Amino acid sequence: MEISMTHLMTVLVLQLSAIVIASKLLGYFFSRYLKQPRVLGELISGMIIGPYALGKFVIPAINGPLFPLPEGTLSVSPELYGFAIVASIILLFLSGLETDLPTFLKYSVKGSVVGLGGVVVSFLMGDTAAVLFLPKVDSFLHPTALFLGTLSTATSVGITARILSEKRKMSSPEGVTILAAAVLDDVLGIVLLAVVVGVAKVHSAGAGVPWKNIGIIAAKAFGFWLVCTVIGILIAPRLTKGLKRFRSMDIVASISFGIGLFLAGLSETAGLAMIIGAYVTGLSLSQTDVAHDVREKLQGIYNFFVPIFFCVMGMMVNFSAMKGVFFFGLIYTVIAILGKIFGCGIPALLTGFNFRGAFRVSAGMLPRGEVTLIVAGIGLASGAIGHDMFGVAIMALLISSIVSPPLLIKSFKGGSGLRAKQAEEKKEEAARQIRLDFPSVRMTDFIREEITHAFKEEEFFISRMDFNRQIYHIRKDEILIALSQEDNLIEINTSPKYEEFVRLLVLEALLELKELIEGAQSMKSPDSIGADLLKGLFESDEDKKKRNL
Amino acid sequence: MNLRKVLTEDVLSLNLDGRTKQEIIENLLDILMKTGKVKNRQDALDCLLEREAKMSTGMQNGIAIPHGKTEAVEELIACLGIKKEGVDFQSLDGKPSTIFIMTLSPKNRSGPHIQFLAEVGQLLKEEEIRNKVMNAQSKKEILDCIL
Repeated sequence: MEISMTHLMTVLVLQLSAIVIASKLLGYFFSRYLKQPRVLGELISGMIIGPYALGKFVIPAINGPLFPLPEGTLSVSPELYGFAIVASIILLFLSGLETDLPTFLKYSVKGSVVGLGGVVVSFLMGDTAAVLFLPKVDSFLHPTALFLGTLSTATSVGITARILSEKRKMSSPEGVTILAAAVLDDVLGIVLLAVVVGVAKVHSAGAGVPWKNIGIIAAKAFGFWLVCTVIGILIAPRLTKGLKRFRSMDIVASISFGIGLFLAGLSETAGLAMIIGAYVTGLSLSQTDVAHDVREKLQGIYNFFVPIFFCVMGMMVNFSAMKGVFFFGLIYTVIAILGKIFGCGIPALLTGFNFRGAFRVSAGMLPRGEVTLIVAGIGLASGAIGHDMFGVAIMALLISSIVSPPLLIKSFKGGSGLRAKQAEEKKEEAARQIRLDFPSVRMTDFIREEITHAFKEEEFFISRMDFNRQIYHIRKDEILIALSQEDNLIEINTSPKYEEFVRLLVLEALLELKELIEGAQSMKSPDSIGADLLKGLFESDEDKKKRNL
Repeated sequence: MNLRKVLTEDVLSLNLDGRTKQEIIENLLDILMKTGKVKNRQDALDCLLEREAKMSTGMQNGIAIPHGKTEAVEELIACLGIKKEGVDFQSLDGKPSTIFIMTLSPKNRSGPHIQFLAEVGQLLKEEEIRNKVMNAQSKKEILDCIL
């Protein structure tokens, strides 16, 4: 027994080693050279090293393949799947924590209409596609149909945010609408998942699912989400105040995450998916003053664990199971894209955008990512979808994520996206740019850090938008500021309303710097410090003694 | 930022006595001292003068915003004072300063400080509002036109 446990753990450790190295390398390759999101590289790394590709070959040292196929629906061992589950909880906990509720509330009307339209239309189109094209699926309430519907709803706004920032369109009407819609999209997607998991559970127990039961399940799921979120937001400030008494952000972050794990477990026992509890905990903490520190403290485990999740999801892709559904995969992908284009585009048209603007908004809502993978993983683990449909989901995710960036970039060419009347009203809202040029890159790096620190001091949320470039989004309430650094140039974009604030803040940061430089000048001269450091370097002990005499 | 919460009648002065930059800063600090929220006058004064030494806080159009972060306060406090004759504050446009908003925030603690200054600055950008503040007969009148 002991030997087999040791063997099991040895294999697990070797698997993790392969996953961590492969996912990081491919993630880097994708983002650096192919200019694609890292998540795609991580996902594909799993497909390459997983049990359906390289991972199936026998390695003599461990008397078997590195990734043997276990029995059951999952393609990886339960131990490894456990790591992926914890990673998905970390992912959703941090997504919740990063939720920008104030921006959402500020632009809630347009954002809600666009987000809601996107979710409802995509869901219905995905669900209908399953009923029309899959012979096994006989009703709209079939778990496979429900999962395919849910899978086509989630948006991953990370890619869009990066492009908007690069094109300096983040605070454009289209930009803020997308960012606000994405918040609602996340929440709705998660509630929808809760409902779908509930229905699928009843369905797989063999019972039919009458409409009234769906109502009960939906009410339960939404109720759980709403009650937990409201209680969470109410008690979070008190809780964090209490936790701050430990005087250690490590403890605050760890206990917060511990609570996230607890609520994740609780939501599963309540018949909902674990990630809902994790997301709600993050969302509750997002408006507290420790949110930024908790996020920074957990960033390390996020960077380590989350690629494991994406890689393990890639491992679940069974290429042979996809042969029969490749054509359906293409249809589903097109439907998922059209669902967002119409679902978000039509409400955008109705809320003051012209065709160009509506297309920009819907192109921004196209990329799929993390939540799609989590939903697909849950569907596969629960048996609601098979390996074939899991493959279809991954296919849709890959294609829509690759197609949307060039589409979005192209869509932003040309004039205003607002209808003539609105455009006139918004004319003076064009972003103001502040450009600062410094003598060297090192100095610019330092000053950039000082400026972002000054924003943090003013309680702004800072998020780095791109791993390879210095692009930051700085937010607080309705204020949106984009900061980027290219070599020795810093550029800050903001709306005219906050231009003075930004100028004052940058000035104060530079004045602090002046103080630091003056302090450094009053220090002992570098020459004499250097002489002190070198003194006696090439002297023997005897010489030293003589010198001291 | 809730300006109404920070700027109340107790922290307004329709006519500051000072004739020099230093005196005006001390006048304003004395107003803040009366609120009981400044624990150490000297520390607060040092921090304000240090900031002025780096670069004057005299802006354009007669507005000056002396400010600093100090351990002498526990929360953001501010006051507003007027000197109709104007005082040389080494302002950006070289004109004498007439409307002064002093702000002190706790050091080593995050919170809006510059944002507060910017918001007050934004209000006083309009010439009409500046004129109303300058010609106000009572503290209430000042509050009415800026809040």
